[in-house]
Amino acid sequence: MGFRAVLPIISGIIPFGAVMGSAFAEAKLSFWQAFFMNTVVYAGAAQLATVDLMTQNAAVLVVLATGLIINLRFLLYSAAMSPLTHDSSPFIKFLCAFTLTDQSYATMTANQSKFSTNSEAVNFYLGTAACMMITWHLSVFAGFVFGNFAPVSWSLDFAVPLSFVALLVPSLKSKKHIAVAVVSSLLSLLLFQLPLKTGLMATALLSILFAWILIRRKND
Amino acid sequence: MINTNYFLLNVVLLAVGTIMIRGSFIALSGKMKNSEKLRELFGFIPAAILPAFILPATFFHRGIVASLYGKERVLILIASGIVFFFLRSTFLIISFGLILLYLATSFS
Repeated sequence: MGFRAVLPIISGIIPFGAVMGSAFAEAKLSFWQAFFMNTVVYAGAAQLATVDLMTQNAAVLVVLATGLIINLRFLLYSAAMSPLTHDSSPFIKFLCAFTLTDQSYATMTANQSKFSTNSEAVNFYLGTAACMMITWHLSVFAGFVFGNFAPVSWSLDFAVPLSFVALLVPSLKSKKHIAVAVVSSLLSLLLFQLPLKTGLMATALLSILFAWILIRRKND
Repeated sequence: MINTNYFLLNVVLLAVGTIMIRGSFIALSGKMKNSEKLRELFGFIPAAILPAFILPATFFHRGIVASLYGKERVLILIASGIVFFFLRSTFLIISFGLILLYLATSFS
């Protein structure tokens, strides 16, 4: 079920994967080097940024800090996933952690009302993760071999924000959720220029702080 | 050309750091008890982070439709959001948005 649920949004993943694949090829990495990085890191935005830094021979610490700062948002997803993986085996927990992506996590939360148990949610999530991983690897491979094949006039990069709108709307369950989304929207525009894509993380943390204040006020 | 040892060192360290970030809370699940407030807070994460992907990617994009000051994606995103609100179909919102953008940029 999760596999099918994420299918509509893969149109946004394919061009991103193709860009990643062509970046690997332009950096003159071998197929196996590209495959290795794509498999063990499995984080598109961080890979793009760090491959670029590595072609400039940047210090290891700079490469590492850049990649990990971009990936810090996974900390929030991991925290949100933790109540669901409470009873899962260590292997399933590892799979959930290793395959955690923006799209898989958001698709799972957008469908959360359909699950009656944690294991249903985890199984659904793993279905989304499988679809994401297959699509990502195939599109990176295609980009590596054929270059960035999607015509610019198709504007496929716009499918990413469109798919996130489809994932955001079901999560706006109350006025408080809408208020948090509005605050996040404004902050994301104000903090966009922060270096190393830290604007994303700063927006998320400040918006969650705002949500925490709303929760506290309700309970007081 | 990237030196192989330098590449492998960076990738291995990045992979280890990323799995530690991704796995941190998931690995601890079952060992720590989350309060009701914390669970409620987790429900706000999509609302807190998804707009931060959507807005900058749309608003700061330099479009080509001069009559819309290059902001055609902002208008199409709003129209697509309205379509999604009524139809609740991810496939339709993406198709609608991409086709509308294609038409807008083709006839500009």
